[in-house]
Amino acid sequence: MEHKSFEVMTGNKACAWGVKLSRVQVASIYPVTPQTTIGEYIAEFIANGELKCELVNAEGELATQAIVKAASRVGARTFVCTSGPGQLYMHHPMHGTSSGRLPVVMATVHRGNKGMQPDHTDLMSQLWTGWIQWYCENNQEVLDSVIMAYRTAEDKRVRLPIAIGYDGYILSYTSEPVEIPDQASVDEFLPPYEPIPNILPDKWAEAQRGRGAGMMEGFMSGGGDPQAAWRIHHEAILNSKEVIKEVNEEFGKRFGRKYGNGLVEEYRTDDAEAVVVAMGTIASTARVAIDRMRSEGKPVGLVKLKTFVPFPTEDFQELGKRVRAIGMIDRNVCLGLGGAGFGELRRALYDLDERPKVLGFYAGLAGAEVRVRDIEKMAEKTLKAARGEKVDPIVEWAKLGGGG
Amino acid sequence: MIEVRLHGRGGQGAVTANEILAEAAYYEGKYAQAIPMYGTERRGAPVTAYLRLDEVRVRERDLVHEPDIVVVLDPAIAQRPAILEGLKEGGLVIANYPHPPELYPLGGNFMVSTVDATAIALETLKRPITNTAILGAFSKVTGLVKVESIEKAILHRFPGPLGEMNVNAVRRAYERTPMPIQARGEVRKDEEGPLSGSGYGLIRSAAGWRTFRPVWDLDKCTGCRICWIFCPDNAIGWAEEKPTVDYRKCKGCGICVNECPTKAIEFKREGI
Ligand code: SF4
Ligand code: SF4
Repeated sequence: MEHKSFEVMTGNKACAWGVKLSRVQVASIYPVTPQTTIGEYIAEFIANGELKCELVNAEGELATQAIVKAASRVGARTFVCTSGPGQLYMHHPMHGTSSGRLPVVMATVHRGNKGMQPDHTDLMSQLWTGWIQWYCENNQEVLDSVIMAYRTAEDKRVRLPIAIGYDGYILSYTSEPVEIPDQASVDEFLPPYEPIPNILPDKWAEAQRGRGAGMMEGFMSGGGDPQAAWRIHHEAILNSKEVIKEVNEEFGKRFGRKYGNGLVEEYRTDDAEAVVVAMGTIASTARVAIDRMRSEGKPVGLVKLKTFVPFPTEDFQELGKRVRAIGMIDRNVCLGLGGAGFGELRRALYDLDERPKVLGFYAGLAGAEVRVRDIEKMAEKTLKAARGEKVDPIVEWAKLGGGG
Repeated sequence: MIEVRLHGRGGQGAVTANEILAEAAYYEGKYAQAIPMYGTERRGAPVTAYLRLDEVRVRERDLVHEPDIVVVLDPAIAQRPAILEGLKEGGLVIANYPHPPELYPLGGNFMVSTVDATAIALETLKRPITNTAILGAFSKVTGLVKVESIEKAILHRFPGPLGEMNVNAVRRAYERTPMPIQARGEVRKDEEGPLSGSGYGLIRSAAGWRTFRPVWDLDKCTGCRICWIFCPDNAIGWAEEKPTVDYRKCKGCGICVNECPTKAIEFKREGI
């Protein structure tokens, strides 16, 4: 292994390193397992004089979000993090942060809403809050994503908050080598944050003049259209795709690592008849499953879905023209509706003249362990569907935990 | 890829040992992934951790089910057949056990080496925290990670005197650990069920968690009830103005021993 600056660290420490390298100025954290140690690592960096940051202890997650929202408004680069129930408690002010177009970055260390164990239901419960959502598969991606998130969120074409999800326990407490980018390169990559409008006293007059113009149009003035606030916010998220891709490319050029095109990453999809789509750590394990099946000559591939909001509709439409079946693995369920990924994928593909079959798998909810052979089974079924065999049911709760 | 499973109890440092091993392996250019699995998160409760070592980035994110090596930090757990679950044929067990491997009670198609890590920990750290001592044994027996790398990782994590004490424990264990032999003990089933279950279940008995047990000298006891108030596990009862103890509930934390104002409670090492 090439020895740059590496350290063996947990996912939560990788997250704290991302915060430190991004020179975050205000963070507010309330403890909840499994995100708690992020705050401890940040406090340690501050105590050692390695990070100049105001770490605000709050009485709960609702307050932490309100605090970073206000701090971001006055021009501080801000960070907040939470898990499971804390995420739910934060729901209301999350709308305020995104409506104010404030580039807050949040880590969601996944913990499901039916127990302590991880699944994506915590962050998926926030799909309507107007935040960009990313999902990570390893500790390196956690660190890198924090840095990329500030660059993306603070881009004047975006100005939206970003939530970075990673699986609690599976990453939060697992240690592995992580490369630490050097501070000077991060500083070049990530210029200081400038608030829009700047409401500090000496800039206030200017800010008043700026009202109703530019990006504040619509939700400050309304422009006579009561729907404008929603429309502009919605379009802003949709339009962030290009910037997400651009930032990912630039990160790759500078640091030698990138994550697909920033929205999705295709793995061994060349000539694939069937692909599975996975998010977070399941995508990591799925790579092993795909390698095994490819070595047996089975034409299957993987799409890792990193950016869930905005949904990479165009990427999947393009993929949908190449493959015959797609199996969506959802580590979530929107009760009474279904897997969030499954629904979005079908929506994205519906308008194609010739659509691939779309199968759904619920896997890994409430921390259920997803093993390599579990994913192989899902990919096998998807391949069957691709080859015109009848598969039943189309959507299933994957039977997990087989041996091997 | 080499896969390792570690068994211990909350407070013995299995998770830390695992992280130190990962770091030490990393110093030698190996890619390591150290996964802890928390159960009840109480001092004394069984804890399992997993380690993967490879030349390239480990992508598997599931737990280790078929380990090449099992490391046990606790002498009571070391006697439970459940530690052998999934162990590869001809695999290796490194156990904290106070007798030589010839006397190790479990049998099967595996190699075993033992070291009295509890004694070494008590000598060097004055506490039964066996995690660093067992790492010395791991290095000696497997040769997968050099003892110098383990020491470097320990000093990185615990700079100063604490690190030195732990390095001492590693060295002593390295010297005292014999090379593994074919296991000679009995092949039997585990009566108590699997070890690595997580979650917040009901615990039938905490008795096996203890390294030490509190023993009362009721002549010295004034009946002040302080031990009864402080016991976190409700193991102390009350009868005829004096404390009673339910050893099935007592996990051996020693809080009562510490709190008793008249030193009426003695902390005695459990025999194996
Ligand atoms: S050692 Fe004492 S305080 Fe601790 S569980 Fe046993 S009786 Fe209770
Ligand atoms: S704390 Fe000591 S003196 Fe007080 S009741 Fe317990 S054993 Fe007796």
